[in-house]
Amino acid sequence: MRNKILKLISKQVWTSKIKNSSTLWLIGIFNGLLFFALFSGYKYLVNQQETVEHYSLEVRERWENRPDKHPHRMAHYGYVAFRNRFPLSFFDFGMDSYVGNAVFLEAHKQNTVNFSEASLSNGLLRFGEISAGMILQLLLPLLIFFWGFDMVAREREHGTLRILLTQGVSWQELILGKSLGLFALALSIFVPSVIVGFILLIFNEFASENPQSYIRFFFLIISYLAYFFILSVLAILVSAKAKSSKSALTSLIGFWLFFTLMLPKVSQVVGQNLFPSPSKIEFDTNVEQELIRQGDSHNPNDPHFKALKDSLLIAYNVDSTHKLPFNYSGYVMREGEKLSAETYKKHQAHLVETYQKQQNVVRFTAFLNPYMAIKNLSMALSGTDHSAYNDFQNQAEDFRYHLAQTMNELQIKYIGNKVKTSADKKAIISKKHWSDLPDFHHQFLSLIQVFKNEVISIISLIVWTLGLFFLVNYSIKNLKAF
Amino acid sequence: MKRILRNADFHRFKAKTIVNQKSNPDSYRDLNLKDMLQATNLTKTYGEQKALNSLNLTINEGEIFALLGQNGAGKTTTINCFLGFIQPSGGSASINGVSVAENPLETKKYLAYIPETVMLYPNLSGIENLEFFSSLAGFSYEKDELSSFLSKAGLQNTAHNQRVGGYSKGMRQKVGIAIAIAKKAKALLLDEPTSGLDPKASNEFSEILRELAQNGTAVLMATHDIFRAKEVANRIGIMKEGNLVSVIDAKEISANELEKLYLQTV
Repeated sequence: MRNKILKLISKQVWTSKIKNSSTLWLIGIFNGLLFFALFSGYKYLVNQQETVEHYSLEVRERWENRPDKHPHRMAHYGYVAFRNRFPLSFFDFGMDSYVGNAVFLEAHKQNTVNFSEASLSNGLLRFGEISAGMILQLLLPLLIFFWGFDMVAREREHGTLRILLTQGVSWQELILGKSLGLFALALSIFVPSVIVGFILLIFNEFASENPQSYIRFFFLIISYLAYFFILSVLAILVSAKAKSSKSALTSLIGFWLFFTLMLPKVSQVVGQNLFPSPSKIEFDTNVEQELIRQGDSHNPNDPHFKALKDSLLIAYNVDSTHKLPFNYSGYVMREGEKLSAETYKKHQAHLVETYQKQQNVVRFTAFLNPYMAIKNLSMALSGTDHSAYNDFQNQAEDFRYHLAQTMNELQIKYIGNKVKTSADKKAIISKKHWSDLPDFHHQFLSLIQVFKNEVISIISLIVWTLGLFFLVNYSIKNLKAF
Repeated sequence: MKRILRNADFHRFKAKTIVNQKSNPDSYRDLNLKDMLQATNLTKTYGEQKALNSLNLTINEGEIFALLGQNGAGKTTTINCFLGFIQPSGGSASINGVSVAENPLETKKYLAYIPETVMLYPNLSGIENLEFFSSLAGFSYEKDELSSFLSKAGLQNTAHNQRVGGYSKGMRQKVGIAIAIAKKAKALLLDEPTSGLDPKASNEFSEILRELAQNGTAVLMATHDIFRAKEVANRIGIMKEGNLVSVIDAKEISANELEKLYLQTV
């Protein structure tokens, strides 16, 4: 393969398309659409970041300013954890708008993360969800196919292909050269949005706090480049193989429909049927049933907690819990919290595992479907995938557990055993203890973790890129000059 | 009387050619010159049908060979085998001693091809088309060199920078010739190049072919134009149902005789 020939052919593709005013219009419209998506996504991101920052401060301030009171009352007063947006989330919204943003954290109870954008919006979200990622993954391929479908087929129909081949151009050179030209056209849409995206990223103060945003952006660019290259070569291959340019267009549109609309939906349904997940009510009931089996910390006659009591009385050689050197009900609650949190975690882990299995069915279709690979990878790198959300849930639950146990420890340590109710004067501790609890800070997944989660998508893109060279070499054997 | 004589001449002639073809199809060839286009037992079958049946043909450098025959006689198949666009079912085609099937890219260096209608990029000018195709063949020419190739091929100077979309068929044919000249092709394959050209354009075309041949280019031309073939070619072959049935020295036959022979053969 000669570089000079590749350059000549790709340049010819570029110049002949650019001469056409409809091409310029399309490039302009796509760039406009992308800029709009990037700016509106960015505005929304900044808005969210400011909201989270503002309310996080307020939650903390209110927590620290609670008056002196019984620590368990504080445990029920609770805390609110807010989900932070990853600085790149303006590029690809992913699941961001459909998962909750805030969760109320209190003792004994694992609440659902609430207030997703979708649950709060009036339906306009259906129109508003145009992210740069979506345009690049879904619409740009359509444009690549539209530009590329006739690039070989038309020359064959027209007769220039025969002269081209007689001039000593090999099929490999022709296909790769045309693909590179088509790829360059795709870049005329991708590159400006990358530049704008990068500028927006630099301007975001949260990006400098999370330097991995830049590294993630770099890999995001590489992934999209691979995706567009794969699609360009595929379009040209189909054009070269097809009997006519018309049939090439039909096949490509068919592929597009199948791979972007049908296959993802079908694989999703298959995943859900192969690995059924419980509904929210079912899940809560299961957790509760297991908790009841284990014991009820609020019931003094519960066998589990009675055994605990008896062993404590023997160990401290006393005949009543009132004579223990620490607050007994705090001790029981600490034990109860530990049990319930473990049970919840176990169930939650199982649920997440089921979700993971469902998603893996979809993920594995990436080996058939490069769209799936880029979709998952783009979401993961933008920090808007399910793993990022799940990680937030785990962090919030860990914090909740820590909060409840910190309050229990305070109760065990500072509250006397003789107090009757939490309203009792002796049952109140100083508000200065409240600040012992560290603030909640949502941390983002590490880059390595993201790569681990998306290893299938990454391998699939690499396999596709390398596989194309084999595919080109294989299919040229049966190509026709006329 | 005259007519009988002619018929007698014709039969004598026919007998001679058939004998020649069987014993040695190259009997009219100047064996001192280098073989440029060579087909050896070249066969192409589509299912049951033989499009080309064991064709043996050698064309020297500087020689013009015209292939006559009805549509479907195998003329275009022969050309496509030399171009490497068709894989022969048997036998081989070689150009300048290099097998087409084994070295398709190597053989294309020696080749130029002018189809019935030379198709070019309509948005580019004649000179831009020539530049593009020459660069693909590995040549880089200056603008004035490209222009001189076009002039040599007979394209008027005013048309060089006009869009090919507005060219007549004859003008595009000339750009095709210019591509061949610019490539310094040793062998030229022509598939009914003059069909649809007006007599003047057709005549100019013949002139250019003769010039190219004088400079050593071997020319294989499939055509329906018996008179043009007689005028421009050194040898003329007539094909029927995939077989090369006669090969005649163009000097030894008049156009009328050739037409008769053609009609009797096919």
